[in-house]
Amino acid sequence: MIRAEHLSKVYRMGKIEVPALRDVNLEIQDGEFLAIVGSSGSGKSTLLNMLGCLDKPTSGAVFIDGVDTASLSENELAGIRREKIGFIFQQFNLIHSLNAVENVSLPMFFAGVSSETRTKRAAELLIKVGLRERMHHKPAELSGGQQQRVAIARALSNNPEIIIGDEPTGNVDSETGDAIMGILKELNHEGRTLIVVTHDAEIAAHAPRVIRMKDGRLHEE
Amino acid sequence: MKDMILLAYRDIKERKTRTALTLLGIAVGIAAVIALISVGYGFRQSVTSELVEMGDLIMVLPGEASWGEYMELGRFNDRDLKDVERISGVKEAAAMASRTEEVEYRGERKMANVIGVEPQDIDVIFGDIVNTEEGKGGRGLRDNDHRACQIGYSIANDYFDEEIRVNDRLNIGGKKFRVVGILEEQGGFKAGVDSGIFVTRRDAKSILGNDDISEIWVKIRNIAEAEGIADEIEERIDENHKLDDFASAMTMGSAIEQLNTVFGLLQAVLVAIASISLIVASMGIINTMLMSVMERTHEIGVMKAIGAKNRNVLSLFLVEAGLVSAAGGVLGCVLGVIGAYVISMGISAQFGMNIPAMVQPEVMLGGLGVAVLVGILSGLYPAGKASKMSPVEAVRYE
Repeated sequence: MIRAEHLSKVYRMGKIEVPALRDVNLEIQDGEFLAIVGSSGSGKSTLLNMLGCLDKPTSGAVFIDGVDTASLSENELAGIRREKIGFIFQQFNLIHSLNAVENVSLPMFFAGVSSETRTKRAAELLIKVGLRERMHHKPAELSGGQQQRVAIARALSNNPEIIIGDEPTGNVDSETGDAIMGILKELNHEGRTLIVVTHDAEIAAHAPRVIRMKDGRLHEE
Repeated sequence: MKDMILLAYRDIKERKTRTALTLLGIAVGIAAVIALISVGYGFRQSVTSELVEMGDLIMVLPGEASWGEYMELGRFNDRDLKDVERISGVKEAAAMASRTEEVEYRGERKMANVIGVEPQDIDVIFGDIVNTEEGKGGRGLRDNDHRACQIGYSIANDYFDEEIRVNDRLNIGGKKFRVVGILEEQGGFKAGVDSGIFVTRRDAKSILGNDDISEIWVKIRNIAEAEGIADEIEERIDENHKLDDFASAMTMGSAIEQLNTVFGLLQAVLVAIASISLIVASMGIINTMLMSVMERTHEIGVMKAIGAKNRNVLSLFLVEAGLVSAAGGVLGCVLGVIGAYVISMGISAQFGMNIPAMVQPEVMLGGLGVAVLVGILSGLYPAGKASKMSPVEAVRYE
């Protein structure tokens, strides 16, 4: 379970303070599928970064499975990102010097998984997202949709409980976007918590629970 | 670790030209150090081995002497020579009277070192390598020679505009001498022979105006007794002249010791200079790695977002720096060996000295170690910078 309490984030740009989150309270149950919508600058990505332990709040706290993330060291936070959370980015963010299998293996490499196990599991995951024929291609040799599938396989490599998608369909055409959402929903059916940020109403329509961000405040719909 | 190396290697491959240049910087630095040490070591070995060959010789000088520095306090006389000959363990003692004199050849005047020595003593002092050049009709100096001289190779060929041949006449200190023989080129430690004009001691007396002896060379029977005999020689001569520390008797052993000190110092200076290139190379690594870190900010952010610890990022960049510098070190070893041989050949072509390039395996291993050390030390700052990046800011960086 993820719980955010009185979450605030203020960005400082020179002398000007820009509040990105204002007193956000949120509880996400295990296995839930939540869509966060809002216009750009509404604070939805900032909220996602807090929930995903990528960034620390200015005040307030995020609890993951009852643990206050503010009390954790950088390395412990890295451990949570590695073991409990799988990230999917709008820009795919694959390592361009590595091929598909190696990209998917990377989180397992950081987790200290042996080379054979890594390669085997990476191959299985790539088959699962439909990339059996593209395992040894580098990102530059793959289409946007294929790259996002590699990114999903990478997010799954350490078998996390939570999948976080930041506009996961934002850089692919609508048909591919539907396919990507199909895969993500399937992951949710497997019991994983799915949190997706989007400004696309159609994508949000897939989610049983939708929250809207506006000016750093949260409105449940 | 193996995976880390593989990962770093992938990154290096993305930046071939820049990596090659950085690698070359390290290689040149290591090569310079290895080449200088190897040539220096070869030089030291060749000089000391020559001295070891002359191990049964003791050189006696009238004054305070150490290699590279000499203060003449006077001259020896025939009584000193006779006393030295009587010391037990001494096989032979040879006297030399030398002075720089004006020498004229076909109207050209030059200053040259004139050495008065008994003909049979030439062998004692310089060994049997001093031979009259074959095929030029020359001969060695004889006891009963009058106004005759044997000249060194450089005197014959380089000193005067015109080459001197056997039977030519020289005017030495205002007296006419006939050239009876020309010596073979010696070089190295015996280069002094090449620029010497040898006459009998009787003729030397007529030129120099006295019987003084400027140095005595002593051949001993047993090398192990060298130091003891040297002390006794100094004692006897000092007694004759009623002076303390007048004579300096130098065994080749002490000469080798002193030379080693001088060489060691010289080499340290050379290596220090060569090390400057290593410092420059290290800055090259820092620069390359900093650029690499900056270019890969986004990538570092992604790695952290998917769970890389600071330590993972740090070691990735350290391994990368270590790999590049290790490769540079290997290349440096190869270039260093080649460089040592090129320098050695250059010296022998330019100065006629035979200085072998002696590459010791431990020097190469040391070079490799230094290269990796320099690489990792230089990588520390950029790698530390990379590892401390905030994931969210790094991911946002394009």
